[in-house]
Amino acid sequence: MRSKYRLGIDAGGTFTDFILASAGGEVQIFKVLSTPTEPTKAIRNGLALITEEAGLSAEEIVSNSDLCINGTTVGLNALITHNGAKTGLIATHGHEDSIEIRLGHKEDGYRYDPEYPPATMLVPRHLRKGVSERVISDGSVRTPLNEEDVRDACRYFIAEGVESVAISFVWSVLHPEHEMRAARIVREMMPDVRLTVGSQLYPQVREYTRTSTAIVNAYLAPILQRYVEAIDAYFRELGSKHPVRYFQSNGGLALGKVVTDQSVYAINSGPASAPQAALDVGAPWDEQNIITCDMGGTSFDITLTKDGKANVNKNIDFLRYRIGIPMIQVETLGAGGGSIGWIDEMGLMQMGPQSAGSEPGPACYGQGGERPTTTDANLVLGYLNGDGLVGGRLPLDAAKARAAIKTYLADPLGISVERAAYGMFTIVNNNMVNAIRRVSVERGYDPRDFVLMGAGGATGAHITALAREMGISKVLISKLASGLCAYGQIISDVKYNYMAPAPLRLQGADAAQTLDDLFNGLEARGRDDLAGDGFGEGDISIRRTLDMRYVGQVHECTVEVGSFAVTETSLEDIKAAFHARHRALYTYDEPHNAVEVVNVESAITGHVDKPKRMHIAAGKGAASALKTHREMVFSADGVSQNTPVYDGSALGAGDVLHGPAVIEEVTTTIVVEPGWTVNLHETGTYVLTADASATRAAVAKELAEA
Amino acid sequence: MAERQVDPITLSVVRGVLETTQREMTMALEKTARSSVFNLAHDYSTALFNHTPEMILQGQDIPIHLGSLIPAMKAVNKFFDGDINEGDLILHNDPDYAGSHIIDTCMYYPVFYKGELVFWTVCKGHLTDIGGPVPAGYNPEAKEIFAEGLRIPPVKIWDKGVPRNDVLNLLLTNMRARRDQEGDFNALIGACQVGARNLIALMDKYGKDVVQDCIEELLAMANRHMSGLIAKVPDGTYSGTAVLEDAGHGFGDFDITATVTIKGETCHIEIASPPQIPYFINSYEGNSYSGVYLGLMMFAQLPPPYNEGLYRNVTVDMGPKGTLCNAKPPAPHMNCTTTPMETLTDAVRLAFEQAAPEKVSASWGHANGCNIAGWDTRHDEEYVTMVLASIISGAGATASQDGWHACGPECCFGALTSGDIEMLEHSYPIIIHEYGLMTDSGGAGKFRGGSGTRWEVEPLDRDMTLITFGEGRRIPAMGAAGAKSAMVEKKVGRLEVTRDGETRIITDNVIETIRPGERAANINPGGGGYGNPFEREVQKVVADIRNGLVSIEGARLDYGVVIADPETLTVDEAATAKARAAA
Repeated sequence: MRSKYRLGIDAGGTFTDFILASAGGEVQIFKVLSTPTEPTKAIRNGLALITEEAGLSAEEIVSNSDLCINGTTVGLNALITHNGAKTGLIATHGHEDSIEIRLGHKEDGYRYDPEYPPATMLVPRHLRKGVSERVISDGSVRTPLNEEDVRDACRYFIAEGVESVAISFVWSVLHPEHEMRAARIVREMMPDVRLTVGSQLYPQVREYTRTSTAIVNAYLAPILQRYVEAIDAYFRELGSKHPVRYFQSNGGLALGKVVTDQSVYAINSGPASAPQAALDVGAPWDEQNIITCDMGGTSFDITLTKDGKANVNKNIDFLRYRIGIPMIQVETLGAGGGSIGWIDEMGLMQMGPQSAGSEPGPACYGQGGERPTTTDANLVLGYLNGDGLVGGRLPLDAAKARAAIKTYLADPLGISVERAAYGMFTIVNNNMVNAIRRVSVERGYDPRDFVLMGAGGATGAHITALAREMGISKVLISKLASGLCAYGQIISDVKYNYMAPAPLRLQGADAAQTLDDLFNGLEARGRDDLAGDGFGEGDISIRRTLDMRYVGQVHECTVEVGSFAVTETSLEDIKAAFHARHRALYTYDEPHNAVEVVNVESAITGHVDKPKRMHIAAGKGAASALKTHREMVFSADGVSQNTPVYDGSALGAGDVLHGPAVIEEVTTTIVVEPGWTVNLHETGTYVLTADASATRAAVAKELAEA
Repeated sequence: MAERQVDPITLSVVRGVLETTQREMTMALEKTARSSVFNLAHDYSTALFNHTPEMILQGQDIPIHLGSLIPAMKAVNKFFDGDINEGDLILHNDPDYAGSHIIDTCMYYPVFYKGELVFWTVCKGHLTDIGGPVPAGYNPEAKEIFAEGLRIPPVKIWDKGVPRNDVLNLLLTNMRARRDQEGDFNALIGACQVGARNLIALMDKYGKDVVQDCIEELLAMANRHMSGLIAKVPDGTYSGTAVLEDAGHGFGDFDITATVTIKGETCHIEIASPPQIPYFINSYEGNSYSGVYLGLMMFAQLPPPYNEGLYRNVTVDMGPKGTLCNAKPPAPHMNCTTTPMETLTDAVRLAFEQAAPEKVSASWGHANGCNIAGWDTRHDEEYVTMVLASIISGAGATASQDGWHACGPECCFGALTSGDIEMLEHSYPIIIHEYGLMTDSGGAGKFRGGSGTRWEVEPLDRDMTLITFGEGRRIPAMGAAGAKSAMVEKKVGRLEVTRDGETRIITDNVIETIRPGERAANINPGGGGYGNPFEREVQKVVADIRNGLVSIEGARLDYGVVIADPETLTVDEAATAKARAAA
């Protein structure tokens, strides 16, 4: 780190987290409430808080920082509330409706629901204008572009007050000229609108995905532009010597200009930094296979990193809109501290996805919440301190928690409050386990080969239970856990994705040459872009992927390959990698069958130097941090046992303790189930290891007998 | 509350694991299958059965298969009469053993635990071809099932873990595009394995007995749920008759009648249909169950999960053997999963509309689609496929909202996906000129039916064979609660073939040859409306005009809304009030 400080800001739904790292190796967390309607306000408030608590003025920090990093939810919020820009689409005539047809599909789980509405159209039908033009599947022009049609569309858009335009034509990826010509016309006639061109934003085969991605981008671009301009101006005013970098859903940083042009990359960027943070926290043990779990008030976010590389999603439905660009896979579940326990129409206990949120909040908050929540269960089980969360600022009412559980769950099911509470705990954990399977088992990975890492304030209470259920024997929780994503951002690199369509069969010298040229071309562009941002050849790395399938299949699987020259010989290595991936995912492969590529991608990373890791002083033995004992429940029969409670801030490096126990940190509580041993490492990370009695079989037997 | 045999928490956990298992089977199948009919159309089912065998979980897959796997699994089990061993894998498609139509191929994998048969994992998928004289199996000329393709009664393709390659070779040799069919067999088998792996892990964790007790309770709960819904309907007998249009067989239109008798918590459904005919729209009993259960679900509107417990208090009489909805060999049947199934569903839905008018939604557009086949000179190989985009119709409106556009057909109920047009043009030598919504196609109502679609294709360099199936080209999707449309011709489907500058409209099922330079457009119906269209808010009608979903003429005829100025879309209030009062 060349400068004195590095500042990371992650604006979440409820809190905006600040991480301030100094060249000397100090890493501090600060939290303020988010201000979604006026995003710069939370940043001002946060800097004021840092001034108050650390005695550093905003100017002093910003003018001495080498990177001010900003993870934001403005794009996400605009998409959730449908408050994006008024957007128009110019499409190939005959294909104006693809985003409304949505391939004819209605989401699973709502098949017979008479009240489930279609997704709100980001571009209503009258603002989707078809123009005469057509390219076909070999890239040749069948019908030339009728420029007058484009002008007609512009005239209509001008009359309608459209602020942002997307252009997306069929097969434009193989012949972008029509889109580029249409773009020039739009720029001439509507010089002030934001413009998104499908083949430039997302040059991949699949018209529906590309058009939808372009529309989401166009819808958000003016919003992101205003945001970036406000933030950049604010930081310039504070004397920043470097441009602000913004965090993207692909897990990398980007300049403000890039985020404004490719706004779709800024959706849901916050949780995408978890894998980066996890690798850093796990580095002392060289952990490369890590599942992160981040539980807050309403949601539970999961990521998976294998061999040091995070799972990436492409072509998915995000908030009901199809988005093609690669994003770090973040599986989100409606399971948080506020998740409500209820009995469904079938008579089964369920947890969430409805949440009591922070208003009225769990019953135990005493703010009028009547329904039993995860937090109420954790309080009844003794895991949480009744004196309150967040260092006693929020006292918890155990009687209200018990009453809620009794009324809504225990009595209807005919079981005790403790059993019901443990049941809530079990079911919410089970929901999380099923969600963890979506990032692991469904991706062909065995969760037992991974370390589990806790992030967020509420995860600690569940983490050993989750590990037990998954058969995972090692858990890591950093003292920075509640701000792990902001931490991940300040240690992230700059990253851009370059894509190209490549619909070809994987055989012969021509195919090899085509692929080689494509990859080299993409990577040359990437190097240029990064060189312009000050990165030398030695700071750049490349990750290549191909979307492949057996000829005749409809879906591809994405396979990563090395950056070798693609030749007829190395095609065999690429095919072998595909067969192996197919086998891992689906139990079989078909080595004798032809393989085809659809799309290729190179992710280019410019490496940023990292701040020093946290370091804590040696401990005086866990006994000196023992605070008290509480009755806690660790079994399905609801019987409690007297359990020690430790003060996390009094524990030091090298301290060891055994479960059952609870460790209370200021912003999180860690429940250590029986059978787990905890070591606090000098980097401020709790290392939890399971011994034999915590294996699944032993616990299963106990549950089965309950 | 009644005393429980099982711990309610374990019960919730087991339920979650079963759903995850089924989901993972579905994912495996969908991602690996070749046939676009089953990996895009989701024209497959994955299901779990217990040893009895009773269905313990049905995926949220396509309603075409809602019921038919239940009798099929039982027929297969009965055929082998106890001769089921660890490592066996059974394949079957024949409707005489309760299959749906022969192009739907089922795999049944017995799951053994410590030497005992405990579960079955089952998958079914629509292949692209099953042999026979016409590619893709839909042969409007067939007078017998033998002229449609290969009948496969239950047969072991693995015997105690050993693949019977001779049998597989026999089957595959009789199919077109062998590579694709073989790939789809692999996908089905892979999915069965994924399911078995998870069920064994579940029993390792909780023990076989606990798992079985939980499953028994889940079945009982489903039964209590459905029985509770039925009990809320006043006792009595309700009847619905839907008309199946003659789409080319020449026997005229047929009535299909469902009579629903509600008595306390039980429901008996009786179907009356005409004698079977030598045309491919006969439905064997297994397939007819799907049609009846879909009609029932349009009333029950239940969220998942689904298991056989739902139907314990529901009895069905499909009518005498040898009728259209209870066919017997050698009746041809290939079109049965859409026609007559959708009309059968409508009859049941209509009977329930009499019984519980506030709950039942309008009918969805019926499938009238096409298969295409030909030679792909780019790779020098034949191609054959059902075109999913050609059956995407509008959804029916409900008591609270407009129908979804482009979400049908009724027999798929939104489970289908039609495939990206670039991927279709990449896979087949075609150009798709249009895939869009149709003006005035949604059924008129206080809540409008969803719009149907138009899909227009041209072959690129060789002739293409185009085979149509289905109906809904003359009779529009039925509305509910008093909905009716004045402008009928825009709400039905048809095939339009354009050659030499002339467009021919075809409403029968045909086999056509389309040449490069010619175009075929398949038009799918909109969904039915809900409630009196003259009660639809005027501003909603104006918004529909603005978005091209309703024409100015359609607004006047269907909704009694008169537009004064077609530019600004201002409404002539007086004329509108007059038109609406006149109704």
